[in-house]
Amino acid sequence: MSLPPRQFTLEYPYTRTVGPVVGKFLTGLRDGRLFGIRCRGKVICPPVESDPETGETLAHDFVPVGPGGVVESFTWIAEPTRKHPFQRPFAFALIRLDGADTPIVHAVSADGPEAMAKGLRVRAQYRDERKSAITDVYFVPEAGSRDSFVPTGEGEVQITDHLISLVYEEPLTASRERYAKGLLAGKFIGQKSPVSGKVFVPSSGYDPLERCLMTEQDDVELPTTGTVVGFTVITPVQYYGQKETEPYIRASVLLDGADTPLGQQDIRDIPVGEFRVGLRVRAEFRPPAQRNVDELSNRWAGTGSCIARWVPTGEPDVPLEQLKGGLF
Amino acid sequence: MEDIAIVAFAQTKSYRRFPESEPALLMGLVNQVLSETGLERREIDFTIAGSCDYLSGMPFAFISNVDAFGAWPPVYESHVEMDGAWALFEGFVRLQIGDIDTCLVAGSGKSSPGRPREIFPLQGDPYYHAPLGLDPVSMAGLQAQRLLDAGKATERDFAEVVSRSRRDGLANPYAQVAADVSPDELLKAPYYASPLRKHDLPPISDGAAIVLLARGDRARALSRTPVWIRGIDHRIESHHPGLRDLTDLPGLRTSAKKLAIHSAPIDVAELCVRYSPEEVVIRDALGLGRDTRVNPSGGPLCGHPVMATGLTRVVEAARRIASGEARRAIAHAASGAALQQNLLCVLEGGA
Repeated sequence: MSLPPRQFTLEYPYTRTVGPVVGKFLTGLRDGRLFGIRCRGKVICPPVESDPETGETLAHDFVPVGPGGVVESFTWIAEPTRKHPFQRPFAFALIRLDGADTPIVHAVSADGPEAMAKGLRVRAQYRDERKSAITDVYFVPEAGSRDSFVPTGEGEVQITDHLISLVYEEPLTASRERYAKGLLAGKFIGQKSPVSGKVFVPSSGYDPLERCLMTEQDDVELPTTGTVVGFTVITPVQYYGQKETEPYIRASVLLDGADTPLGQQDIRDIPVGEFRVGLRVRAEFRPPAQRNVDELSNRWAGTGSCIARWVPTGEPDVPLEQLKGGLF
Repeated sequence: MEDIAIVAFAQTKSYRRFPESEPALLMGLVNQVLSETGLERREIDFTIAGSCDYLSGMPFAFISNVDAFGAWPPVYESHVEMDGAWALFEGFVRLQIGDIDTCLVAGSGKSSPGRPREIFPLQGDPYYHAPLGLDPVSMAGLQAQRLLDAGKATERDFAEVVSRSRRDGLANPYAQVAADVSPDELLKAPYYASPLRKHDLPPISDGAAIVLLARGDRARALSRTPVWIRGIDHRIESHHPGLRDLTDLPGLRTSAKKLAIHSAPIDVAELCVRYSPEEVVIRDALGLGRDTRVNPSGGPLCGHPVMATGLTRVVEAARRIASGEARRAIAHAASGAALQQNLLCVLEGGA
């Protein structure tokens, strides 16, 4: 039976300085006002830092525009994405605000595509909760607009935050799936290249040295013993998404008979002072019911929650010279 | 200027979902062009790839892609976070220096794991556009509506582009979507991002393309039918849609003029038409006449492996020259929303 597809969320919290031009515009949105910038007798909205024709830096000559404007063109979005300003059908439109010479792209909330038209008058509306971002404002047909009191905030907006959050879903590749199922069965499954003879664990399904794709017939089972070939002690920094608080070891373990190490192995039971390259270790798998491979993906192999710990075997260390030539 | 030719090329099918990794997708193509030319991997002087880490959602995905080129001996390589057509541009420029003879150019992408409409707003302006989720489909809708408003096209024109492209796709073994469907039938579909209907959009695809470049006599030695790159140019329009005329591409007009594309007949034009209205804009900017066959492959409407779609246009054009079907062709690649960036390349056969 196939393992379920892997789901994964990629997030980056972007914090951007805005500078004096975009900052002026976003400060305006926070305070319920719209601005353009003067450029050779014309007014550009949203304001830009340089002359679009010549590239010359523009003087900070801001002009109030809107709150009304005219739809120059629009597209009716029948099925919004999760990232759109509205989670119901709406229009993206090119809106030329009163007093501006160039249109701004923004969202118009309207009852339906019939309520939209080229030349339609629209008006800015402000969100109750404003975040110093372009999404603080949206537009509606002028006839259905409402007046709202937007209190003036303090100071100039200097930062805008944008959390990027993307979701991905994909099935495991064939070789990764067999590796994952091996872990669930308490085994390390790798692949031996039919060309170079090198043993890859976990395998990506190909031998990058000889550019040869491998199949299930190239699968090999590795023992649970190996040698530490590299490690690092990580003192966690409290960045966004960090869950660790105490220093910990991440080690690379070269299983006996393998040419590539298992990377990023979590070491918690061997004191930092005793840990070293050349140390002989053995994987202790968790009881079958406690093993899971939910963390494994095509991007990230690891060993999931299948291994309880790596324990020293008590054998003499492997001399460093014997570790040379591996595919690290 | 050095004479640079395409001496081998390869592409994968356009897949809705390719079950293996992106390096695996590329590896077969690398082996194909090496075996066709008889080159050893160590004889490849320079390698350059175009791909996008956000597509697969894996930071440094472009590093794993290097596996496909062979990890040993060490690869002298570069990468662009752009369609492979821009990698071709860099490869072409790199070969001009004259110290190396061969260059492998790749473009690859797997769009299947993610949601392209949520990913691609991130290539837009981070202050004014990205937070709105302003995606390529919406921008294509705005561009299409502008074309209608300006009287430069009708909805039937869009449907005719789709009908012709998808029919041409039936003869393309690499196509993902192909059908024999009339414009009348297409026009019955509901709007998706008005005035676009779903069929005006490209499919979501996984795929890759590869081109092997060589210089001067080395090209002549490696291929009996070298396809010469007579010129290549790329331009960018403003990223503010409000500061552009969305119905025109002044940058592409400049490229066409600089490359003197009309100095001789153009037998084939492979254009990066991802949304059907784009064909109207590109044709107009290039001034293409009826004697030029446009997108005989069916174009991106039949398969859109993002990051390889543009390079695939080069491959498709080169294929027709190498086979003798065409003598001179142009290939066009695009990037960004509403054709914001355009690359143009003139290809010619002959020794």
